This record gives sequence, C-alpha cells and structure tokens, in this order.
Amino acid sequence: MQPADARTGNIYDLGYRNYTGKRLGRRHAVLALYFYTLRSAFGLGRRTSSKIIPIVIAVIAFLPAVAQLAIAALVSDEVDIITPEGYFGFVEVPIALFCAAIAPEITGRDMRQRTLSLYFSRALQRRDYALAKLAAFATALTLLTLMPQVLLVFGNGLATNDVTGYISDNWADVPRTFAAGLLIAVLCAAGSLAIASQTPRRAYATVGVVAWFLISFPIANILVFAIGGVGRYAVFASPFDFIYGCTLWIFGVGAEFESVQEEAGFGLWTYFVAVLAYIGAGAALVVRRFARVSA
Amino acid sequence: MTQESPAVEVDHVSRWYGNIVAVNDISFALNGGITGLLGPNGAGKSTLLHMLAGFLRPSAGGVRVLGEPAWQNPAMYRRIGLVQERESVYPFLSGYEFVLDSARLHHIAEPEKAALKAIHMVELESAMSRATGGYSKGMKQRIKIAAALVHEPQVLLLDEPFNGADPRQRLQLMDMLRAMAKEGRTVVFSSHILEEVERLADDVLVIVAGRLAASGDFHEIRKLMTDRPHSFFLRASDNRRLAASLVADASVYGVELAGDDLRVSTSEFASFTQAVAGVARRAGVSIYEIRPTDESLESVFSYLVKR
Amino acid sequence: MIDPTILRLTVRQLLGQRRSIVMVLFALLPVLLAVLYALENDSSDAQGWTAKVALGGLVIGLVLPFTALVFGTAALGQEFEDGTAVYLLAKPIPRATIVFSKLVVAWAATTAVVVVSAALTGAIGLSGEPGEGIIAGFVAAAVVGSLVYCAAFLWLSIATSRALIVGLLYVFIWQGVVVSLFSGVRYFSISQYALGIAKAFITAPDDIFDPRLNVAPAVLFAVLVTVGATWLSVRALQRWEIGEAT
Repeated sequence: MQPADARTGNIYDLGYRNYTGKRLGRRHAVLALYFYTLRSAFGLGRRTSSKIIPIVIAVIAFLPAVAQLAIAALVSDEVDIITPEGYFGFVEVPIALFCAAIAPEITGRDMRQRTLSLYFSRALQRRDYALAKLAAFATALTLLTLMPQVLLVFGNGLATNDVTGYISDNWADVPRTFAAGLLIAVLCAAGSLAIASQTPRRAYATVGVVAWFLISFPIANILVFAIGGVGRYAVFASPFDFIYGCTLWIFGVGAEFESVQEEAGFGLWTYFVAVLAYIGAGAALVVRRFARVSA
Repeated sequence: MTQESPAVEVDHVSRWYGNIVAVNDISFALNGGITGLLGPNGAGKSTLLHMLAGFLRPSAGGVRVLGEPAWQNPAMYRRIGLVQERESVYPFLSGYEFVLDSARLHHIAEPEKAALKAIHMVELESAMSRATGGYSKGMKQRIKIAAALVHEPQVLLLDEPFNGADPRQRLQLMDMLRAMAKEGRTVVFSSHILEEVERLADDVLVIVAGRLAASGDFHEIRKLMTDRPHSFFLRASDNRRLAASLVADASVYGVELAGDDLRVSTSEFASFTQAVAGVARRAGVSIYEIRPTDESLESVFSYLVKR
Repeated sequence: MIDPTILRLTVRQLLGQRRSIVMVLFALLPVLLAVLYALENDSSDAQGWTAKVALGGLVIGLVLPFTALVFGTAALGQEFEDGTAVYLLAKPIPRATIVFSKLVVAWAATTAVVVVSAALTGAIGLSGEPGEGIIAGFVAAAVVGSLVYCAAFLWLSIATSRALIVGLLYVFIWQGVVVSLFSGVRYFSISQYALGIAKAFITAPDDIFDPRLNVAPAVLFAVLVTVGATWLSVRALQRWEIGEAT
C-alpha cells in the first residue's frame, strides 16, 4: 500500500540464515529413525486411534502370563501350567496379527506420503533406512515375545516358596527363552516387512502378511497330514509351524504327539536352519526393495 | 432470468465437528451470475460448498438449491454440477468415455452428442481418446469440468478450480464460466486468492473463521477495507510529547496513553507511515518500537464482521 | 434398480487389475491340493476329506470369504479411496441403485471364482467316489455364501475405512476361533450359513459331512443378513458425508 512513485522491484532480507552448527551425521540419523519407528509401531506420537490396535494385541499377548500369575498369587506357589516354549506357541498368533496390522504402516506410510525422498536426501543411506526399520520393528516384536515371559519368571519367582530351588531349576531356560523370543521376533519382522514393503497400498500389504501367516497354516496342515510324501515339505512354508519347530529345538523338547512337526518327521534342527534362512531372505528383500523404490 | 425462489438459498447454516465450528451461522441467497467464495485457508469455504452440494449435512439451518433441500436429495443433481479438487478420474477410461459415462448416468437423451459438446467446451478434443490416467493435472481438471457440465446444469459449484492451473488454463476457465453466467446460470467458486476473485466474480462472499465477513460487490468491499482505521503501537523516548505532535497530524484521529504504551489510531495507513518518522524527529523524540496492532487478514475481517 | 453404466464401471474397476489374477490363483489352491490328494492318498475317505476338509474347510472356509472380502470391500470402497465417489454420487441416481449394482458385480465376480474352485476341487477330490450331491451342495453354498458375504462386506466398506482389517478379524477370529469356543456364535457366522445350505443337497451320511447349522436356520439367517446388510448400505450411502481427510 505504498504510493507507487517508482516502478522498482526489491528482494528483502527476511533474516534467512544457513545452518552453520554441528551436523550430527549418519549414525545419529539411523538412531533417530530407529527410535521413531519403534515408537510409531505402538502408535506413540500419533493419533489416539492408531494406538488401539497395538495395545489390544499387546494385551492379548500378555493374557496367559497374567492369568498364570493370578493363579500363582492365589496358590502362593509357583505354577507351571504354561511352559516357556508353550507360551511361544501361543504368542505367535498375536504376533501375526500385530504384523498384519502394523507392518503396512511401518513401510507404507512413507511410500504413500512420498516422504522417502526426504529421508534419502539426508546422510541416511537407503540400506540404512531399510535396516533401521527392520531393527525397530524387530525390537517392537521382541517386546511382545519376551515381556510376558519376563513377567512369568519374575512372578513365579516372587510367588514361590523355594526361591533358590526355583532359580536352579529354571536358570537354564533363561538364555533359551531369550534366544527363542529374539529369533521369533526377528523372523516375523523380516518376513512381514519384506511383504509389506512391496506395495504402498495398506490393503494389499495387510492381505499379503495375513496370507503368509494364516493361510499357509491350514494348507500346510493338509499337505502334511492328508497328502504326505513331498507334501511334508510344506511345513517349511508355514511360519507358525517352522517357528514352533525351532522353538522346540531350542528348548531341547521333542515334537508333540500328533503335531505337524511329528508328522513331517524332520529333525527339529532343520527348523532352526529354516528360521535363519527366512531371516536372511526377508532382510535381503527389504534392503533390495528400498534400494530400488523410486523416492 | 427470474425464478420464484433463489437459485441458491442458505439460511442460518452452521456446521460443527465436536468442539470445532467450521461454518458459523451463514445466510445468503444467490440468483444467477458468478459468485466467489473468498477467504483464507481453513475458513470454511470447502465446508460450505460441500453443504451446497448436498454432501455434508448442516448442523443447523438449511440449504436449498433451486427450491429444494440440498441434503439427501439425489434428484437435485439433475440440475447441479459439482467440480471438486480432491476428486479424481477413473484412470482406465478415456476422456471421452469419462464424460460419456457421466452423461449416461445423468440419463441424458443422446449422451454422445452432449459429451462431445462438453469436451469441445473445455477444448480437449485432441486428447479425448487417451486414457485419463495419462493426463496432466490441468487436463484432468478440464475433463472433470466437462463431466460436470455435460448435463448443462443450472447451478455450477467449483471448489478451488484455479488451484495449480497455469495462466492460460485460468484464462480459458474464466472465459468459460463467464459464458455460462451470461446464459443465466449460477456459478459459485471458491478461492483464497484475491486477484482471481476480483477478476471473475460479480459478487463476493468473504468467509473468515467460518463466518460471513462481507458480501456484495468486490470493489466496494475493497474500499471499505482500506478505509478502515488502523491502530499502531509505539514506544518512544517521550511518549507524551510524541502523542501531542502526532495528534496535530492530519492522518491521525486518536491517541491514547496507557502506562508505557502509546496507541495511535489513524484512518490513512499510507500517509501515517510516511509521516510518523518526520513528526518524531521534529519533536525531538526517538522511537524505540512501532508496530501495527491489527495488520492480519484476520483482524481486517474481524473488523468487518463487527461492523 | 440396476444401472448398466455402474455395472460396466465396476466390472472394469474390479477385474482390470493384478488383484483378480491373484484371486484366481488363490482359488486354484484347493484344486491343486485335491489333485495331490487324489494322486498320493489311497485312503478310502475321499468323500469325507473332500467334503469336510477341501470343500468345507478350504473353499468355503478360506477361499470364499477371502475372495468376497477383496471384491466386496473394493466394489464401493475403492471409489472412496481413489476419490471417484463424488463422480458417482453427484448423479440423480437413487442410492439403492448404486448399492445393488455394485453388489451384483461383486457377487458375480466372487461367485465365478469360487464356484469354479468348488466344482473342480470336488470333482477331482471325489474322483471315482459317488458324488452324493457333494459338488452340487458346495456350489450352492458358494453362490449363496458369496451373496451374503459381499452384502456384508459392502456395508463394511461404507461404514469404516479399515474394512479390510475388520473383515479379516471377522473371518479369522470370529468365524475361526470364537465359533469353536462358543456354539451360539454359529448363528452369526456366514460360513456356517453356507455350510448349512450345502447340507441341503448332500445325501451322504452325517459322518461324512455334518455342519453346525441345519438348512432351515442357515437359509433364514442368510436371507436376514443379506437383506439387513443391503438395507444398511443404502441407508449409510444416503447419509454419506464427505470426510475431511482419508
């Protein structure tokens, strides 16, 4: 609204300055992405409605532990209804649901909202991005696999009448529980992220993860029991089955009576190898996907 | 073109989402010509347009288009065309098929002729056999307009139609809308850019924070805005002496001393800003701080609203 | 009540994508398993296996709900997601017409896929054994089940933006786990309606195939759910409001 006596153009210095401070570099970027992904897996830092599903599933994962603890408290002694390996068998289902609901969010949101280019134009390499996402999701799943176990151990330890006896009986289980929980979490993370990262559409990613976990299960069941022969190898295509087989191997327990693992007849160590192979393949797929996706 | 009832009639309409009031007690009536909905982003223009189009239910009040209520009235769409920015096209259809299907869904007799006529109006004949998935953004906008016009609606509602349009498209669209208004149709479009509204609209509805801040001829409103009193806040080495000198200046019509503050009201923004430095120097006073207290578009419109 | 333009648009939307190929492949899985079974297994329980496991469990229990979920939620849901919903709704077409047209296409697509799967699986699984109405029963179950599922999932896609996940929870948790825990739940499980309808055609004895619901309640509830879900869909579409953001 100045009187226009002269037709000139001006560019004004609005005080924009370049950042001349310290730049924290690649390691810091990777850690920042890791923690951010870990938090957003549980919906922290986002709308309330995105916390519902992770919390509900986490509660389901804890239920048997809480139930056994309640019984132990009533009985005032340790209770052994649920074995660590048995618990891992149960928790696979909530973990599968968690992956189906959350893995598409972890990889899909950045692809949908086209923020990948923001990440890649920083010190963060594409491979760093993929591995950070993988590590964060694996950590989130580890919380779900191990926290209930911790609850069980501590709870029983507090309730028992014979603490030293309890410890000496069970201490060998601790590293095994830890190993199994970690392996399960990393495997589910690698597999579900490998699938979910293939598409930005949330619906397709969810269906893909569900198919890997929940559809392979009955089909492998049929192939092993009803068909047999070559069909027995189907047990390596069903995460529920080979994860459980690996868990049994870690705990040195044999296959259950009339279970898929028994029917298939492979040594339990083969499932451990399968888990490792899937982890490697899954991680490779995730890295490859983010190396190629156009940002 | 006269009708018994106005083409668009909005009667004390409000819309709230929980605690947030998006549209606050707006009333107006339109009858032919081009009307621009002007306001800053988030002011409620889109919300209002959606209510006019029958896609949002007013929390209070009523919207009538061509004499009929807008909400839950699919038959109304026979005579209304709607162009939205967020809406998209079916990528597998060609431009011609897209407009043709729109014509068919409107149950027009001879849909092929109507489709060709609409495509001709938006000048897209050369591209009409190509799949719309491959169109540029401007072409998609134009084919959407063609699909919205194919049934020759009496009322046309456009939500931010010039967003992202290049200058040539903007001119072409404006010409087309002017031609439609000349035929007697009612055109309503929204924008947050004054120049667009100034160029195109006969009448303007200014919406700020959900409320109707001004309506009527654009140029009259503009004049009202520049004539409004301005208020400045000053801190000087000697407030009282500066106040005495300022009140002698023709552009100032009020000064107010309150503690350490000096508040000046002026009716002529330009002359005051030029004069204030000179007045201070002649009075031998140093100015430490001077700022306008109500320069935002918000305060401008809130002034208008209070009026 | 049905608009040919909407039919044509929906058909092109649903079938012109990778998704339909994936569904077809998925529907061929039970067929493949039936082939393997026929080759490898020489037990005499072909009828029972075919009816209970392959057809009842896989085709009706897995392929049918999954296919209906994908097609049923996409029929209308994709319009909302892609942003073409306004194109369809800003037309002087009764909302009921839109719902019926979409439902017909979703139903036809699902039925085509699942019926073929059921027929082939049944034929191969039973090869040699007397049919005793098994194939006819499960084809009928597929046809009716498709309709009920598609109606329900269509409504779900209008009612919520996360229809796919809710549908998955319904299929796997409600129909999978809860039904086996609480027997009353079978009245609210669409796959049980389908299985009950299959029973009407099957003349084989009960140890071959014995669903949880009888024919009469199955038909009744199937009709109720279909009509109810469709009515709800029409109502929801009439009251549909543009959201602020997806």
